Amino acid sequence: IISGAIYQEQARHRFQLELEFVQCLANPNYLNFLAQRGYLREKPFVNYLKYLLYWKEPEYAKFLKYPHCLHMLELLQYEHFRKELVNAQCTKFIDEQQILHWQHYSRKRTRLQQALVEQQQQHQPQAPSHGNTTSK
Amino acid sequence: MRFISHACALRKRGQTVMAAAEKPTKGKLLAALDDIEVLSRELIEMLALSRTQKLPQPGEDTEQILELLVQRDKEFQELMQTAVEQGKVHQEMQALEKEVEKRDSDIQQLQKQLKEAEHILATAVYQAKEKLKYIEKARKGSISSEELIKYAHRISASNAVCAPLNWVPGDPRRPYPTDLEMRSGILGNMSNMSTNGVNGHLPGDALAAGRLPDILTPQYPWQSADVSMGILPPHHGSDFGLEPPGHNKENEDDVEAMSTDSSSSSSDSD
Repeated sequence: IISGAIYQEQARHRFQLELEFVQCLANPNYLNFLAQRGYLREKPFVNYLKYLLYWKEPEYAKFLKYPHCLHMLELLQYEHFRKELVNAQCTKFIDEQQILHWQHYSRKRTRLQQALVEQQQQHQPQAPSHGNTTSK
Repeated sequence: MRFISHACALRKRGQTVMAAAEKPTKGKLLAALDDIEVLSRELIEMLALSRTQKLPQPGEDTEQILELLVQRDKEFQELMQTAVEQGKVHQEMQALEKEVEKRDSDIQQLQKQLKEAEHILATAVYQAKEKLKYIEKARKGSISSEELIKYAHRISASNAVCAPLNWVPGDPRRPYPTDLEMRSGILGNMSNMSTNGVNGHLPGDALAAGRLPDILTPQYPWQSADVSMGILPPHHGSDFGLEPPGHNKENEDDVEAMSTDSSSSSSDSD
């Protein structure tokens, strides 16, 4: 029988461990590592992954710095996905897609900035002629 | 004469046979009329006969016939009265039936209206319930805007969900915890690493990255939660029977494999 305080301490420690671990799942290379070591085939591990789904709740999710991990966690619930992860090509593909998606907003922003700059350049040639007429 | 009494006797017998079913007035009337017809015919025949034959008939027969005739006539009159009364009753019945029909149609009309009203109310109640359900759902999921902004900042400022604007292939930053970060966390430090090779590798990694300060001192550490908030993970028994990998002897393999991965990702330049 563990006293309340010790249990709390252990629980807090476990919280941090699980927080770290669940976020590691966002790393496709780590997933490949786990798959090749055979962890994803073990029933207790699969049960653990199901248990980790509690991180989807808002009161827990707010601690996640890398939210991609939740999507990976959801995919990991499927056996087919777990089987595919053994393949290094598969995880490389996931990695590439993930990085491309990650760059999506930056690309969009740069495109918008470029469009804005182009618009300003269009307005500029008119300004000097306007100045000439006023000076007259 | 004998014929008449015989016919009367037969009818009486017929009446007793049909005692269970009440003989309709119309039938009775017609029967009475038949009798009168027969009797009067007899009488007229007898009178005709007595005139032609000039023979004085015994007065009893004529008297009998006359009596029967009078009797039948009285019956007939009574039956006519009954018929008239029955007619009146029938008319009343018809009037009442009409009333009943009218009331029936009224009730049906009211029934229809009631059904319509019930339907409308049921729809209204159902929609109101749905609304309440959604209100409740929204209220449950409500988050303060400040928290949302805080969280949005947390995941964006550190480039966790959006790539830094100056990112080029070769930049070791990733939308997930990199090997470096993983190793510097609690999980990475769980077992005391006696593998010097790994430790020797670590600075090399950092140097290759050239961003040592950024990675090792993130603004929002991904591994340490705000412990003072007292949030605990959901309780579980040792159901899964397996500690998450990254512990003990697995750690060294983990680290070695990671180093090969990290070198491959950092050499990911085109």
